[in-house]
Amino acid sequence: MSEKYEPSRREFLSRGGILLFGNALLDASGPGTRAATAIVTEQEGKVPVIDCHAHAGIARLSGTEDDLTDPWNAVADPEMIFRRAKEAGIDQTVIFPIYNRTYEKANEDIAEICRRYPGRFIGFACHSPATEAGRIRTLLLREYQAWGLRGVGELEEDPTPELLDVVKELRIPILIHPPREHVAPFNDFVPSYPDVNFIVAHLGSSGSEDFEEHLAAINLAKRYPNVYLDTSNVVITRYLEMAIEELGPQKILFASDEPESDCRLEIFKIRNLKLPKEHEEMILGGNILRLLGGSRRVP
Amino acid sequence: MSENRNTVPLVIDCNAAIGEGVTWEPKTRPVNYDPAVLLRYSAQAGIRRSCIMPARSKFYREKNKEIAHLCEKYPEKFIGFAAHNPQAETGTLRQMLIEEVKSMGLKGLRTDGHPTREVLDTVAELNIPVMYYPLLGVQQPPAGPGTAGPQEYTGPARAYYIMATVYPSVNFILPHLGSYRSSEWWAHIEAIDLAKRLSNVYVETSGVLSHKYLEMAVREVPVDKIVFGSNAPEEDPRVEMFAVKLLKLSKQQETAVLGGNIGKLVAQLVA
Repeated sequence: MSEKYEPSRREFLSRGGILLFGNALLDASGPGTRAATAIVTEQEGKVPVIDCHAHAGIARLSGTEDDLTDPWNAVADPEMIFRRAKEAGIDQTVIFPIYNRTYEKANEDIAEICRRYPGRFIGFACHSPATEAGRIRTLLLREYQAWGLRGVGELEEDPTPELLDVVKELRIPILIHPPREHVAPFNDFVPSYPDVNFIVAHLGSSGSEDFEEHLAAINLAKRYPNVYLDTSNVVITRYLEMAIEELGPQKILFASDEPESDCRLEIFKIRNLKLPKEHEEMILGGNILRLLGGSRRVP
Repeated sequence: MSENRNTVPLVIDCNAAIGEGVTWEPKTRPVNYDPAVLLRYSAQAGIRRSCIMPARSKFYREKNKEIAHLCEKYPEKFIGFAAHNPQAETGTLRQMLIEEVKSMGLKGLRTDGHPTREVLDTVAELNIPVMYYPLLGVQQPPAGPGTAGPQEYTGPARAYYIMATVYPSVNFILPHLGSYRSSEWWAHIEAIDLAKRLSNVYVETSGVLSHKYLEMAVREVPVDKIVFGSNAPEEDPRVEMFAVKLLKLSKQQETAVLGGNIGKLVAQLVA
């Protein structure tokens, strides 16, 4: 049970969740750094199991009303994710920051966590289109090129052209929480970016809070070939079955939303569906692997 | 009650719904829960008996009769709970519930709304448990007639503490560890505190999205105060069963959570 996680968690929390790392990583831009977020590829015919949605690091919100008010405004311990993922048979987990006002420091944390757990985490950067307007291209290029971050997530606001243009340029996926808990806003920006792969978090509705948003997400993914749905936090699992039936397995990506949700339980929701092996492999890792494979270096 | 003749622990799901109605969500969805689906799901999850109650509805009298009928049809599978809206059915609820328990064989009550003295006096007299989920922080128009208007912002502590201390002889079951879908994490903490503090408050395990709060519950709450429920067929009982298995309890503790505890709450009536 969770007691066995306590020592590392205590250690993590005793530092207020602040990760102790030097500047070496931040100055590095060579292949060694990028190797920290290397993606496991198919080995001996086995498709790796990849969780495409987890949060790690700390929130730096001092002086704001959101500071330390909720678990997602505080800390997310990568050690906890690592141990549960290992137990669940998950080879790699995509991690991105928890809630912050600006994300430069939080993205550094992500890169450092990926380096500290070689081969276990794939780092994504997060950015706020509102509070970081005008700087996003510069920041994201560095995070991608120097630190090896491989996508953008979890965006909680409407993306702006500034953000989507650089995502398109880098050919990286972007994972978005339905803005204001609605899927409809995706229709405003997805058609303008047919080359960008969009991942809709939570099958459109975290906790299955609004079943109509699950239906809207399924319809969105049906309409646009570049829209994918992540499976995290679906409570009414018949909507997962509906999504797979109507869209096919290639549009569905296994996700947990660790550490607030538990990847051992979230992956059970997929395995419980008893899908054909090749379909399950696509959902549990093959699809996100494909989306991550298209990224490129920018001169 | 806790063991069958083959000494296999009896797994009882204490929270399942049957029949036509709506979901409990702020945005309701019409449902018609088929007992055949529940039986199939439950068998797949290793559940031997289910406490069944009507789906949320405007009127419960006829729905409770359907529940009693199903329990007669499947006596080895179902344990019937009545459902009532304490506010909409005030004045008539007592007589209905007495009849439903004494004549129709129902074993518990689920309330759709905050239990009143009429409800609590009656269940104390009948010695049956009450399941009540206080809707959290939502302006929720109740389904029943005569109860229009938003409910106050509330949580498990405010909803339970007074009534559970005023009625110490009534056993209360708080579904979803106090917060369906873990929508309000603090409500899980309140539920755990209530179950630790009050000997007559039990917590039910279904629909807890953030599994760490179930882990917290089994660390902090005496294990005989935790009862397994699935919220089936709205939720998949195989997933809900896995959530309990994931707690990695001792065999004895798991047997208690998965059926022994609810068995004791309804034992004198079921035996």
